Amino acid sequence: MTARQLQAELTLVLRVLLRQPGFWVPTVLFPAMLYAFFGAGLAGSGPAAGYAMASFAVYAVLGVGFYQFGVTVAQDRADPFIRWQRLLPGATSAPWVARIVAGVGFSAVAMGLVLVLGKTLGGVVLADTGGWGRLVMITLLAAGPATLMGTALGSLASARAAVPLANLIFLPLAYLGGLWMPPQMLPETVAAISVWTPTRAMGELAWAALDGRSLPLRFAAVLAGWTAFAAAITWAAQARHGKLNFG
Amino acid sequence: MRGNMSTSHHKPIEALDIAKRFGAVTAVAGLSLHLGRGEALGLLGPNGAGKSTALAMLMGLRVPDAGAVRLFGHPPGSAAARAMMGVTPQAAGFPDQLTPRELLSYATARRARAVPFDDVIAAFGLSPVIDRRMAGFSGGEVRRVALALAFLGRPGLVFLDEPTTGLDAEAQQAFRATARGYVQDGGALILTSHHWDEIEAVCDRITMIDKGHKVMDGTLADMRARMQARRISFALPEGAHPPDWLRATHAGDRWHAETDDSDACLRRLVDEGTPFADLIVEPLALPDVIARIKPENRP
Repeated sequence: MTARQLQAELTLVLRVLLRQPGFWVPTVLFPAMLYAFFGAGLAGSGPAAGYAMASFAVYAVLGVGFYQFGVTVAQDRADPFIRWQRLLPGATSAPWVARIVAGVGFSAVAMGLVLVLGKTLGGVVLADTGGWGRLVMITLLAAGPATLMGTALGSLASARAAVPLANLIFLPLAYLGGLWMPPQMLPETVAAISVWTPTRAMGELAWAALDGRSLPLRFAAVLAGWTAFAAAITWAAQARHGKLNFG
Repeated sequence: MRGNMSTSHHKPIEALDIAKRFGAVTAVAGLSLHLGRGEALGLLGPNGAGKSTALAMLMGLRVPDAGAVRLFGHPPGSAAARAMMGVTPQAAGFPDQLTPRELLSYATARRARAVPFDDVIAAFGLSPVIDRRMAGFSGGEVRRVALALAFLGRPGLVFLDEPTTGLDAEAQQAFRATARGYVQDGGALILTSHHWDEIEAVCDRITMIDKGHKVMDGTLADMRARMQARRISFALPEGAHPPDWLRATHAGDRWHAETDDSDACLRRLVDEGTPFADLIVEPLALPDVIARIKPENRP
C-alpha cells in the first residue's frame, strides 16, 4: 500500500462523508447532545461528574464505530462501487484502512465534543489533569472492539435489517453497561447482567483511566472475550459470503 | 502508454475449462476462452446463460470450482493482473457526492504511476459535467463516466459488461470509435452486449454461451463467409401465392424467405413464372446467421 494510494482512499472517503452533512452532523452531535441533556446536569459536581463525562465519551466512540463504520458492512456487501474498487490496481486493503482511519477520526471528534461540554457545561474538574489524556487514549482504543462488534452484526444481517438490529442491541447495551446512569443506580438484576456486557467493560476501563487507577483486569478480560467473539463471527460470516460471492 | 503490455508474452485472457456451480445450479460448465492482443471478443447469450458468472471468474471476482484462468499469465484478482486491466461495472453505483474528475483522479492514484485522463474525458464527452457532482446524472452520463474509468490509462485488457445501456446514439458512436481505436492499438477487449450492431461494430470474434455451455465460437468474418444464406422478399399480386418449395411467409404486404443459394432460387422463380415484384435480396442479419449456425454446433 503506497502513501499515494492511502491518501487517495482517505480523500475519497472523507469527500463522500463530509459532503453528506445529514450523515456526519447527527453522528458527531448526538452523543454530545445526549450528554448535555442527561449526563452533565444529573451527575452534579465532584467525581460523579467526571464519571458521567467518561461514560458519554465511551458512548460517543462506541456509536460511531459500531454504527457508522461497523454495521455498514452489510450495505457494502451489495455495493457495486466497492466491487469495482476491488478490481482496481493497488492494494485492496487500502479502502478498508481508509475507512478505519476515517472512523477513528469521526469518533475522536464526537468524543472531543463530549469532553469540551464536560469541561464547560458539566463542570468537570480533574485533580489529576493527566486523566484527560488517559481517557482519550482508552476510549479511542475502545473504538476498535466497537467497530469489530458492529462489523460482526453487519456481516450476519441483511442490508435492510442491519440498522434496526443495531438499534435493538446497541441502545440496551448502553443502558445495561451503565453508560447512561451510574452502574450503582441500576436495579439489582440489571446490575448482575451489567458486569458481563462489553459496554460496562469499556466504561470501567474509561473510569479507571480517568482516576489513574490500574486497569481492572476482570473487565479487560470481558472486553477481550467479546472482541474475540465478534472477530470469530465476522471471520465465519465473511468466509460464508466469500463462498457465495467470490468463491 | 501501454508499456506494461510488452513486458508479458502471455495472452490477455487464457481460460481453460472453467466451471462454476451454485448449489445444484450449474452456472458455467467447461468454458474455455482465449483473447489475444488487438482482439475484441463479444460474449453473448440469453439472460441467465452464465455470462455474468463467466465474466466474474475472468475478472477475479469469483473463483472457478474447476479449471484455470490467467490474465497476461497472472491469476485473476492478483495485483499483477489488476494492474493490467480496466473494468466498467454493470451497475456502476458511484457515490453521488463525487465528481467525475475526482473519481478519475482516484482511479489513477490506484495505479503504480499516475496517468493523464484528458484523453478519456474527451473520448466520452465528459467535459461539460467533469466537475459536477454525480447526484442527478442521467443514466447515460453515469455510463460515460464508467467507460472513461475502464479505458483510463489504456490498460492492456478492458472488460465491458453491457457498456452502452442508456447511451444515446451519439455516445454509442463515440464508444465504438474509442473501442476500435483501442483494439487497433493492440488492446484486448471483452464485451457483453444485447446490441447486435454494437457487437458487429466492435468485435472480431464472438463466443456464445447458453445454460453455462459454449454453444458457438468463431470470428465474425468466418461466420459471414460460412453463411451464404440470403433473405429475399418480394410482393405478389392480390390472390397469387409463392411456390410451396420456397417456404415463404407472409408479413406486411410482402413475402419473405431465407435461402442458402439465392441465385438458384431466383432462377427457378423466374422459370416458373412467379409474378414477383419489388424484389429485395439481402444478407442475413447477424442474429439470424447465429440462429442458423447454432443448432449445428450444439453439443
